[in-house]
Amino acid sequence: MKPPSEDHDLIRWLDGEMNDTELAAFEARLKDDPVLAKEADDLRALSAGIRDHLPAEMKVPHADFFNSQIQVRIAQMDLDEIRQKQTGATSLADSFLAWMRKPWFATAGAVALAVLGLVWMRPHTQDTAHSLILSSYTPGLGVEASTYHDNEADATVLMLDGLEEVPADRKISGISVHRSETEPEIAATTLFDAAGSPLLVISRDAVGHPLFLTNTPRG
Amino acid sequence: MKALLPTLLLLIAGTNLFAQEKAAPQPLPAVKPATEGKVWGALIFATNDASQLLGSQEKAPAHLGPLNDRLAKVFAFKHFEILGQHQQDIFREYESWVVPSRDLFLKIDSNGPADNGGVKLHLQVWRDQQVLVKSDAVLRPGSPLFIGGPKWKDGRLIFVLLLERK
Repeated sequence: MKPPSEDHDLIRWLDGEMNDTELAAFEARLKDDPVLAKEADDLRALSAGIRDHLPAEMKVPHADFFNSQIQVRIAQMDLDEIRQKQTGATSLADSFLAWMRKPWFATAGAVALAVLGLVWMRPHTQDTAHSLILSSYTPGLGVEASTYHDNEADATVLMLDGLEEVPADRKISGISVHRSETEPEIAATTLFDAAGSPLLVISRDAVGHPLFLTNTPRG
Repeated sequence: MKALLPTLLLLIAGTNLFAQEKAAPQPLPAVKPATEGKVWGALIFATNDASQLLGSQEKAPAHLGPLNDRLAKVFAFKHFEILGQHQQDIFREYESWVVPSRDLFLKIDSNGPADNGGVKLHLQVWRDQQVLVKSDAVLRPGSPLFIGGPKWKDGRLIFVLLLERK
């Protein structure tokens, strides 16, 4: 087996890359080494055969197009590099605009809004946990109603603000109603206490205002 | 004449009722009106001044839990006193009155059962001959409605309405 330096010299000799001194020394070795000489002849014959079957120069097919594509690719890489150096906000804006240009963006957006709407509406219509005030109307001037659910009290609150105060000297009294009977024919309801005694009768007048009849004086 | 007719009928009914008060108990109607459920309503006086309390002995139903503690979460008062209370059927076809006091009371009209439980109601809060608020509401069993009413003395009148569990 030849050492690597010998193979290297053989190839340089074959390619004509040796100077005069190197060439003289190598040709002296060829005379002294028949094996090396035989290998050199074989390689030289092979090289000559290849040259005979290939043209001296090969033209690159569609060279102009090939070069232009390389230049375009280089330009794109330069642009990408510049964009990556820009701020994150700009990149997000570009991404968002790119999304908005997608043909399916309008449909997807409408579906997303519909889902959000359903989620938003759900607590008002399907909440099973607590009582709800759906709407309120306060006929009195300056009276306002606000409503909310207080989680700590676990109660729904309807707060009436702006009501006229009850005079402090007015006596407010309550009753304890345990049972009632309604007479639809005369739209009257009789309220009874725990002992079954009637407390009062309530009905409506011609304009819908409540009418009370009681056997005990008020207050 | 039409305007006077309900008043006359009411007077007749009332006269008969109280005339027979000391007589034998009245028999219940043969057909009880259809109902959607039952509510408990109470008029409560809230105050920070214990000396203003009226000394009422009314108690909230035990199943409502510590009502005063729950009221104190919403209304900034120390003392809550039940002045009156009323347990009332919600009639399907007729209006229902919840009258724990003649000073502040409710008229209820049923709008039918609510989805997922409870009853849809039209509420009217009345003070004497004046309606304070009209509301459409959904009452759920065990979930009370606190109505913050007018101020009185140094406190406030509160109406509590609760749909009772069947």
